[in-house]
Amino acid sequence: MNLRWTHVVMWLAFVALMFAIPEFVSKGTLRTLIFANFLAIFAISWDVLSGRTGYISFGHPFLIGIGAYTSAILTKRFDVPIEFAIPAAVVMTMIGGIIVFLPALRIKGSYFALVTLAFMELMYQLVQVIRPDLTGGTRGMSGVQTLTRGAVNGYYLSVSLMLAVALSMWLLMRTQLGTALSAVGMNEESVRGSGLSTTKLKLFAFLTSAFVAGLGGAFYVHYLGSIAPRALFDINFLFTIIVAALIGGASTIIGPVIGAFFLTFLLEYLRPYLPGAERYFIYGLIALLLYMYEPKGLIALIDKGWQRLRGAADRKETV
Amino acid sequence: MNFKKSPLLMALGLAAMTTAATAEIKVGFIGSTSSDTGLSTLRGAEIAIEELNAKGGVLGQKIELVKADTAEDPTEGVKAYEYLAETEEVDFIISGSIDDVSLGWLPRMQEFQIPTLDTWTSYVGIIDMIVEDYDSMKPYFMNIASDEALATLYIDFGKDVLKEKMGWEKVIILQEDTAFGGAIAGLVTEALAPNAGIEVVDTIVYDITTNDFAPLFSRAQDSGADFIYLVSSVNSQVVSSQYVKLQVPMGMTGVNVAALGQEFWEDTGGAGGGISTLSPVPSVGFRLDPVSQAFVDTYQAKYKSRPVMPHFNGFNAYHGVKQAMAAAEEAGGFNNTTWVTAMEKQDLKLDLDGEPWLRYGFWGNDEVEPRTGRTYPHNARFDITEPYEDGSPSMVVIQWYEDGSSAVVYPEKYATGEFTVPSWVKK
Repeated sequence: MNLRWTHVVMWLAFVALMFAIPEFVSKGTLRTLIFANFLAIFAISWDVLSGRTGYISFGHPFLIGIGAYTSAILTKRFDVPIEFAIPAAVVMTMIGGIIVFLPALRIKGSYFALVTLAFMELMYQLVQVIRPDLTGGTRGMSGVQTLTRGAVNGYYLSVSLMLAVALSMWLLMRTQLGTALSAVGMNEESVRGSGLSTTKLKLFAFLTSAFVAGLGGAFYVHYLGSIAPRALFDINFLFTIIVAALIGGASTIIGPVIGAFFLTFLLEYLRPYLPGAERYFIYGLIALLLYMYEPKGLIALIDKGWQRLRGAADRKETV
Repeated sequence: MNFKKSPLLMALGLAAMTTAATAEIKVGFIGSTSSDTGLSTLRGAEIAIEELNAKGGVLGQKIELVKADTAEDPTEGVKAYEYLAETEEVDFIISGSIDDVSLGWLPRMQEFQIPTLDTWTSYVGIIDMIVEDYDSMKPYFMNIASDEALATLYIDFGKDVLKEKMGWEKVIILQEDTAFGGAIAGLVTEALAPNAGIEVVDTIVYDITTNDFAPLFSRAQDSGADFIYLVSSVNSQVVSSQYVKLQVPMGMTGVNVAALGQEFWEDTGGAGGGISTLSPVPSVGFRLDPVSQAFVDTYQAKYKSRPVMPHFNGFNAYHGVKQAMAAAEEAGGFNNTTWVTAMEKQDLKLDLDGEPWLRYGFWGNDEVEPRTGRTYPHNARFDITEPYEDGSPSMVVIQWYEDGSSAVVYPEKYATGEFTVPSWVKK
């Protein structure tokens, strides 16, 4: 694992900054940050699968939904304590991850994306029809047990989860396994030619992605306190996750986090000025322009800015 | 002291004093700002607030309205509620949300305990939550009759008109694939057959993006049903106009949200004749009492864009905001105990031609509705028993005729026209 002291310092600074935020911002802003944290978790989860291996999934809400619905049903309908319901939800989501993985053995590219989209649609239909007494049917469920009350507690919970996920995924991607996963995304045939089992590598990526999606989905539903098919198995939710990962910078860990924060805040800060649907137009336009200007995402823009600053500082020293 | 700065300091001091004197009561609107129904609630609230402010506001303070759009999305609804509660710190929330959006933000209402009035969703499950957990749900009120009352009226219409008058015995349900569609179709299937003696022979579920209904209408004709029960809340004008243009040779009634608005005729390009739908009151074609008529006059003078006539929830918002502010005056604020007690007592009775016509009140917490035999705390005080003198009718059935006019066709007390099939359908 290639770790430098600068990495440790930067992560510590990032963690310290995130934990200090409640001292400086309003409760309203904290609520926005909570949604940004959850979106970051979902975007990281998508990126582990699609950003790394190149298998573009349009069915990520399928996995998040399994985690969210499993935990909601277990706690609300069967009075299972949350501490057991969440791990069970993660296991169920990983089983869902294997289901998504199966088509990846035979197909890739746009065909794979369409099959995963079908998974999301299928799940949308199933939760409404199969046992609506458990799922709440078309209207979903309200009054799901929440883990915290209040913006500050909700923030600390969500940011801890987001940081734990981001750090573990970052560490994982710095291992040889992480490198191999990225190599699958670049050229799967070459990886296979080098003697590595791409099937096992892909299965690992799918399971890891499902683990994060399930964990995020379960905590998400216990933050919201409600769940509805339209909220989860929705094309807008899917696109928000993908756009967060792409606009922040796919195949990085911090990129999806930056993308998630940027998108969530952009939409919320537009609310007082454009309370209606117009803000989605502005949001889409800015996202499109940013992606056209820098396809590698905000992380690349920040990196360029940083290099420029360092270059200017170096030149000053030389003079 | 720098005297050059003193005028500035004085101005700042004056500004601070002025701010203190005009401290405002904040009312939050939560709902879609791009749908006719959402706009109806928003505009109803706006007019009520303007009228209240013209009379000095409430508790000696002006009322300010803050909007939070939900885009009809449950998660956006949660964000919108949090925004109103924690960023805007509103005192009262008026909602024009649909079922799953309201269910989404309800846990936040329970957390923040902000007095909230829903004007659009009619989901009886929310009333059940009040029954089960009154303490945490008590700031919530719903001033539209719950869907259980809607179903009861529809069964009566089925018995009295569809079965007895029209002689129809078999129905096919044509249901859109949405939360609303599933819920209403479920109610009809469970209640219509056993109570009205009308058999449901089949259910066709269609996607809301469907733009060719010809194959579905053919299937309906082949089913052997006497009429179609349509459940449509999204793009209902498409299915309605195709029914008319294709001259489907069987009657069609049901729940058709587009037909609730005055724009229906225009939206269908004049092809809406024969369409009938259940509608909360006041509906199109509904005779208005003088108070409600005055509200419509103000509305139409103020707003030139659609909806040109407020939907039922616009009336609910207009009267509801006034009642919420009257409760605040009585309770001395929006405290979630004293305000709730004062709001529970609000009761506006509107007469027309000397007889009870509409009522904006709430069921008592332990009061049992005689027909359903259950309680409806904080739900609009509806009346589902003739002669409808205790409260407002839960719903009415309206019909659009082939000349572009519309009328209430059921129940009889409110009827301004007669239920009929379009000219191309054999009677």
